[in-house]
Amino acid sequence: MGYKKIFNVALGLTLMVTGVGASCVFASDPPPEGGAGSVAVRLFLTEGAVPADDPNAAVWNTIQPAEFKLAPQVHWPDRIQEVTVKSVNVRGIHNGQDLAMLLEYADPSEDAADAAAIEFMVGDKMAHFAHGQEMLQVEGGDVNIWYWKKEHGKATDMTAKGFKTLRPQENQNVSATGAWQDGIWRVVFSRPLQTGDEQDVQVTPGEWRNVAFAFWDGEIVDGAVKEKGSQKAVSSWWYFRAEPPPDNSIYGYVVLGIVLAAGFEFFLVRKIRRGNES
Amino acid sequence: MKGPLAKTAILLVGMYVFLKFVLPLVTAPLPASLIFLYLALTLASAMIFYTMSGGSLDEFMGPVGRFLTGSGQAGVAGTARILVFVVFPLLVGWQTYTRLAPSDMPPAENRTIHPAPPGEFVGLANPYPTTPENVMMGKGLYAAFCSPCHGANFDGKGPAAVGFNPPPANFSDPGTIAQLQESYLFWRIKKGGVGLPVEAMPWKSAMPRWEVELPDEWIWKIIMGEYDGAGQSPRTWEEEE
Repeated sequence: MGYKKIFNVALGLTLMVTGVGASCVFASDPPPEGGAGSVAVRLFLTEGAVPADDPNAAVWNTIQPAEFKLAPQVHWPDRIQEVTVKSVNVRGIHNGQDLAMLLEYADPSEDAADAAAIEFMVGDKMAHFAHGQEMLQVEGGDVNIWYWKKEHGKATDMTAKGFKTLRPQENQNVSATGAWQDGIWRVVFSRPLQTGDEQDVQVTPGEWRNVAFAFWDGEIVDGAVKEKGSQKAVSSWWYFRAEPPPDNSIYGYVVLGIVLAAGFEFFLVRKIRRGNES
Repeated sequence: MKGPLAKTAILLVGMYVFLKFVLPLVTAPLPASLIFLYLALTLASAMIFYTMSGGSLDEFMGPVGRFLTGSGQAGVAGTARILVFVVFPLLVGWQTYTRLAPSDMPPAENRTIHPAPPGEFVGLANPYPTTPENVMMGKGLYAAFCSPCHGANFDGKGPAAVGFNPPPANFSDPGTIAQLQESYLFWRIKKGGVGLPVEAMPWKSAMPRWEVELPDEWIWKIIMGEYDGAGQSPRTWEEEE
């Protein structure tokens, strides 16, 4: 073998071995760990209408829920040490125009003051999960809160930036319907993905955004509502994302990769054979 | 197994075993990408070594060239050759797919757990003496205000802890308050989660800003009660010198 020919073989072999090695080694990197419970809600893409007003629609049963543990609200007064709602299962769906999120949670009694809420950060600024309260070293943003209460029978689209600033918005874009059965509330919230209202969270398919949840048990105990105002079950910030439309161009790139690799093999072997013949 | 190719293969396997299984016995495990880099460097070194003279080059590359061209091969070697030629493009295709396929995982978060405190809190000393009465009072205040999240056993497992992300600190863990000075705890309790800098993600913390509810004296005594109850000692300036 001549030096040039051998160098070519060596180069080809190195590329081949490193390519195969990279495939095996990088593919063995473990995925990030999410810890206990879920970390994100996935709004599945559907082609039909979203079940905006139907907590018992059959489609909900086809969607894998994300589960989030809830804690008593102890961050600011008035605190509460124990709450009724301990965790929530969240399902999501969208059709590119509208989204719906179903909150399913255990509450032994159906009460007029039972309530549920979903909170979002608005825009690009990070906001504290407790009503977007002021942070001392970081300039925070607003939060958008979708609030549903059994006795109201509808949702209220709200805005807050700090304690005692929570107020209903001028433009109400959110709807909600709740159904209680056998100790389980199923509450569905829905809204267009995009509203054009700068006080609202804007949902773009494929983009991760923050979300948090809150629940109130409106049972009357000793003549008073058990959980109200800041006395509620809360979650931390988690994530949600509306599923983007499928991108079939990926398969084109896969085929291209296979063709290039096979072509590389072909030319490598041909080069070695020609070298041997000469 | 005397040929240079076999020696290189043994070297690579030995290097992999060393990096993957032996090295973690004395230090932190290496990431897979770093192991791959070291293996690639080992292979490159071996190739440079064997291509320094024409003789060793022929010895090294001869079997490879014969394998790739299939000259004089039959049976197992021939089948292995076909297998390699089929598997390699498929691996490239699979790798392309895993790199481009959309992920269902949210963005990774690198949250700093113990960020630097603001200057005005550095080096503050607890103005109250560590007397049994002060420690007792601190533990009582801890029970009232802190234990719902941080736990009656100072282990971060209070009844309200479930569901918070990040979870409340476990003071009995040697990696938390034992690594910190009293002045650091004073800052964290007084200013709470909202007082954290951006790298600690203050928007996620449920730690109250206790300065709006508790006097400084109570906070200092809570710190005493915390260390005593968790069986830890604060880090001091003397230890750092």
